[in-house]
Amino acid sequence: MAAVGAVVGLGNADFSDLREIKKQLLSVAERSRERGLQHSGKWASELAFALEPLLLSELPPPPALTEEDARDLDAYTLAKSYFDLKEYDRAAYFLRGCKSQKAYFLYMYSRYLSGEKKKDDETVDSLGPLEKGQVKNEALRELRVELSKKHKAQELDGFGLYLYGVVLRKLDLAKEAIDVFVEATHVLPLHWGAWLELCNLITDKEMLKFLSLPDTWMKEFFLAHIYTELQLIEEALQKYQSLIDAGFSKSTYIISQIAVAYHNIRDIDKALSIFNELRKQDPYRIENMDTFSNLLYVRSMKPELSYLAHNLCEIDKYRVETCCVIGNYYSLRSQHEKAALYFQRALKLNPRYLGAWTLMGHEYMEMKNTSAAIQAYRHAIEVNKRDYRAWYGLGQTYEILKMPFYCLYYYRRAHQLRPNDSRMLVALGECYEKLNQLVEAKKCYWRAYAVGDVEKMALVKLAKLHEQLNESEQAAQCYIKYIQDIYSCGEIVEHLEVSTAFRYLAQYYFKCKLWDEASACAQKCCSFNDTREEGKALLRQILQLRNQGETSSTEIATPFFLPASLSANSTPTRRVSPLNLSSVTP
Amino acid sequence: MAWCTPTCSASRTGSPLTRWRCWCSSASWAALARSSTSWSGGGSTGCCCHCCRLKLIAEGELKDMEQFFDDLSDSFSGTEPEVHKTSVIGLFLRHMILAYNKLSFSQVYKLYTALQQYFLNDEKKCGIDENDMELTNTEELDGKMEKEELDVPLREEEISCSGPLSQKQAEYFLSQQASLLKNDETKALSPVSLQKELNNLLKFNPDFAEAHYLSYLNSLRVHDVFSSTHSLLHYFDRLILTGAESKSNGDEGYGRSLRYAALNLAALHCRFGHYQQAELALQEAIRIAQESNDHVCLQHCLSWLHISEQKIFDSCVLLEHSVNKSLHFGLPYLASLGIQSLVQQRAFAGKAANKLMDALKDSDLLHWKHSLSELIDISIAQKTAIWRLYGRSTMALQQAQTLLSMNSLEAVNVGVQQNNTEAFAVVLCHLAELHAEQGYFAAASEILKHLKERFPPNSQHAQLWMLFDQKIQFERAMNDGRYHIADSLVAGITALNSIEGMYRKAIVLKAQNQMLEAHKLLQKLLIHCQEIKNTEIVISVLLSVAELYWRSSCHTIALPVLLQALAFSREYSLQYLASETVLNLAFSQLILGVPEQVLNILHMAIEPGLAHGAVLDKGCAMFLVAKCQVASTASYSQQKKAEALESAILNLNEAKTYLAKVDCKEQLRDVLYFQARLFHTLGKTQERNKCAMLFRQLHQELPAHGVPLINAFK
Repeated sequence: MAAVGAVVGLGNADFSDLREIKKQLLSVAERSRERGLQHSGKWASELAFALEPLLLSELPPPPALTEEDARDLDAYTLAKSYFDLKEYDRAAYFLRGCKSQKAYFLYMYSRYLSGEKKKDDETVDSLGPLEKGQVKNEALRELRVELSKKHKAQELDGFGLYLYGVVLRKLDLAKEAIDVFVEATHVLPLHWGAWLELCNLITDKEMLKFLSLPDTWMKEFFLAHIYTELQLIEEALQKYQSLIDAGFSKSTYIISQIAVAYHNIRDIDKALSIFNELRKQDPYRIENMDTFSNLLYVRSMKPELSYLAHNLCEIDKYRVETCCVIGNYYSLRSQHEKAALYFQRALKLNPRYLGAWTLMGHEYMEMKNTSAAIQAYRHAIEVNKRDYRAWYGLGQTYEILKMPFYCLYYYRRAHQLRPNDSRMLVALGECYEKLNQLVEAKKCYWRAYAVGDVEKMALVKLAKLHEQLNESEQAAQCYIKYIQDIYSCGEIVEHLEVSTAFRYLAQYYFKCKLWDEASACAQKCCSFNDTREEGKALLRQILQLRNQGETSSTEIATPFFLPASLSANSTPTRRVSPLNLSSVTP
Repeated sequence: MAWCTPTCSASRTGSPLTRWRCWCSSASWAALARSSTSWSGGGSTGCCCHCCRLKLIAEGELKDMEQFFDDLSDSFSGTEPEVHKTSVIGLFLRHMILAYNKLSFSQVYKLYTALQQYFLNDEKKCGIDENDMELTNTEELDGKMEKEELDVPLREEEISCSGPLSQKQAEYFLSQQASLLKNDETKALSPVSLQKELNNLLKFNPDFAEAHYLSYLNSLRVHDVFSSTHSLLHYFDRLILTGAESKSNGDEGYGRSLRYAALNLAALHCRFGHYQQAELALQEAIRIAQESNDHVCLQHCLSWLHISEQKIFDSCVLLEHSVNKSLHFGLPYLASLGIQSLVQQRAFAGKAANKLMDALKDSDLLHWKHSLSELIDISIAQKTAIWRLYGRSTMALQQAQTLLSMNSLEAVNVGVQQNNTEAFAVVLCHLAELHAEQGYFAAASEILKHLKERFPPNSQHAQLWMLFDQKIQFERAMNDGRYHIADSLVAGITALNSIEGMYRKAIVLKAQNQMLEAHKLLQKLLIHCQEIKNTEIVISVLLSVAELYWRSSCHTIALPVLLQALAFSREYSLQYLASETVLNLAFSQLILGVPEQVLNILHMAIEPGLAHGAVLDKGCAMFLVAKCQVASTASYSQQKKAEALESAILNLNEAKTYLAKVDCKEQLRDVLYFQARLFHTLGKTQERNKCAMLFRQLHQELPAHGVPLINAFK
């Protein structure tokens, strides 16, 4: 282990020496590749590619061979070629008895992979339905025993610790696995795989706080990644920005992560532009393209999605991401059977690919096959209990089946997972409204508005509720806020709701005898088709009453007539709101 | 103040939905292999023979197994086949052969290794326990094996994960545990270990929906709202899939599970006392059921609706509808539950007793006809409760004994005579209280001990005996005059039953001479109980109020209160309370100076009192009789007077024996004082001195009374 430190050099927390970082990255990429850890190697190389090229003199020397390495060299070379050809058992056979760290790791790793491969094969021809969950990697227990012995004797290097952690995780020993992974990151901070595994095991912010992680520049990448996973998007974006500022601006990895983060907070335009940029830089990239397709789907960008689907299909049609993109494409074209088929294919390629279950559920919902939808969503929840989309989908399914009380539970689960998502709150509110629990419904809508309503529907619904309950003042407040909202974001959403808002406000002011405001609103009404006639009628009435009112006010000349007394005890918002109204003329 | 509600009918309506559907999907191969070994001989072969066969296969080669299956198909052919093709075994074997033939090369080998593994396990286990196929054992064994293999200490979870069950084993496990939960909770696995088993089961087969239902039942045991809701909904999500998959009943099956899902959710909320939510869920269930014309489901909904509404307002209309309709649709279970619930309500509402008993008898006929043993139990328990309500303790005692000595009809409990349903808890509690009333405290505590064993403190019906236990202790403390102990018990009683607790609190206050507080509390309680129409308590409260009045020497005010109480207890035919009231009335009249009148009305109360009353009440009654006798001697001649006094002394002796039984020292002291005075009048100095000495002993022991000694009736 001393040798490891000498060769790689423990990284520092700052990014002042990018050349040093590049050297470290190159060396660790090489070492990962030697051990068959393709993904870590890929990640390191990608990152290294984003940095300035080194001069010949600066290139890191090939790792020095020890006596043991030399002894095992032949066996290692042979086994590595078998390993590359996926003949794991064969590789392990020739590596048995090897003492050097590299050969030993490859030996254990090929045994592990052989077990995994057999497990996958087994699932295809299992004996019956009950055995579905029983198939397991038989090699894991033996590996655990051997590795734990080595671990106790402190003979494992960073890669060995990583493998030990993986084995523990596969045995569902999450706590032990976390400890081992943390140790692995201390011994070999440059190995991205260990960090990534740690990401999968950490479920909340509290856990993260209690980890003692090595203070290296790799930690920054890790933190950024885990913030994205834990939906702490603000923090994640900050981290990524600082990484870009530090000199990794060309890294496709960082760009894609930023795009995913924007996707998670549903900043669709930003995410789309970043993805487009990414596609320019790395046109044959398949990773994260499913997220991209989701964005295109949400924006209903058919030609772009079609282009993406065809392009990916050309690159590699047997990838989970490709299948998902194609599924989204069909879904957008309303060919839901085909879409479901492609999601199924994606699941065949990787049964643990969670997104596909949820998406398939959506497709079944579109096809009105509620039972299949429920099945799909339940599977999604089984893979990941924190999948709020699946909970939400289940709620929707039961809502379609006209069981508003029953679906409350599901919506509540979804809401617990995403407390700041207005969609769940609006859905909850609608259910409560159907159940005639108006107090709860009002709470939900108000909260939905408070957390930032995306669809802008919460306020209208809230206003209508107030209207129903004859709380005209609150209703008017809500409509005013709604109209302000609509105009402030500069796009005209649905005419119907805006017009109803104006109509209500016009009538409200009319009742309160605030003629100026009433006529302003009535004039607004006239610009919409469905309320034009009413608006005109109201204007006429106002005109009439105004003339009368002037005469009557002079006749009676009471010191406290209604508008004055109203404005006296009105809230500041009330005084401001009509003013704002006239200023937001489109 | 014995007071019990037969709550059985309310909480048991949910159980008909606890059905364990037979799982029809293709059985697991491992299970087939296991069952085939015991069936292969064709019926007559014993355990030893198929063991040999299995041993042959397991210790031999693959070809032995292949040979076995080849032989198996031969058994159908020939002029006299060993197994008939269409017999149950024949069908099973053919099914098995078919499935075997469908296996691929690698699957055959897997089957063989599974068989070998099974045999090896069995062999090892034989050393431990023969014929024991319990799953827990295999697990322990696996755990041991692993412990031998690995020198690293394994965590507990890891061990339990190692024992996957076959389909049939899992089904058996679930149905067994479910029926145990229903009938005999103490024998079922503890909530924690059952949940562990279930999690294990679900880990290996997440599609096994029934396990979710059992986990729902299990969470109910520990009153866990969250996980029970979670499990219930998960179960129905899964059920909906299977309903849709098996197209045999097409769309119908799918919709069916939907409405039952909503119904079960309602039941869950009812159980946790969320009546508002329950109603919302019920509305949903009713709507869906109406849309699809499912009258059976509608009936279930109606029953639950009744239960949830019962708590809000008391109406029998719903229930009557429910009973009629259930009979119409041939749902005897639901119908008689309805009848029982109706009888319970009517009993509280003071309907004629003979009609109620008739109704119960009719429903009993129905139960015996359909052998609904559970309902028979409930019916008997309910009769016990009703007899007690009417104050006929002998009848109640007899009913209680009937249930306890009855053999259960349930096949599950062949070996066991009784089970652990609520009916038994109710009956045993009554029995304990009846014994305590008669002064058999040892017997009562014996019964309570038994209850504690049978219904451990965290089980569903434990609250019943907890309440009764505390009530009995309370009564004893009150009799002894240890009011501080009684006061400390009030808190416990209040936790289990707030009205009862309030009433007891008032009694303690009264006994401690805190008249104002007691009066205030009683008035509050009176208003509340009149609102919720709890007549039994209303009468008791009225009696206590009257007692407060005459204690403060306001007998004229006490009289109308007592008359009101009498009217109530007559109307609701609560005989026990009626005679109690009459005794109070008599006492007031005695003090007001009409002893002749008193002796007339005392006859009404003494007879039922002596027949059914508690020992304490008997003693007090006899004491009162003696007092009246003495009071009425004023106008008698000397000769007659002496006779009357003699008979009064005899009555006092009887009262003394009664009071001594329940250790009621305070009353005993009064009786002794009175008796001493009588002896003195008659000039019997020796007897007088004896009584006086006894009185002196008790008087030193007890603090002085708040009211003049002779003026107290109770």
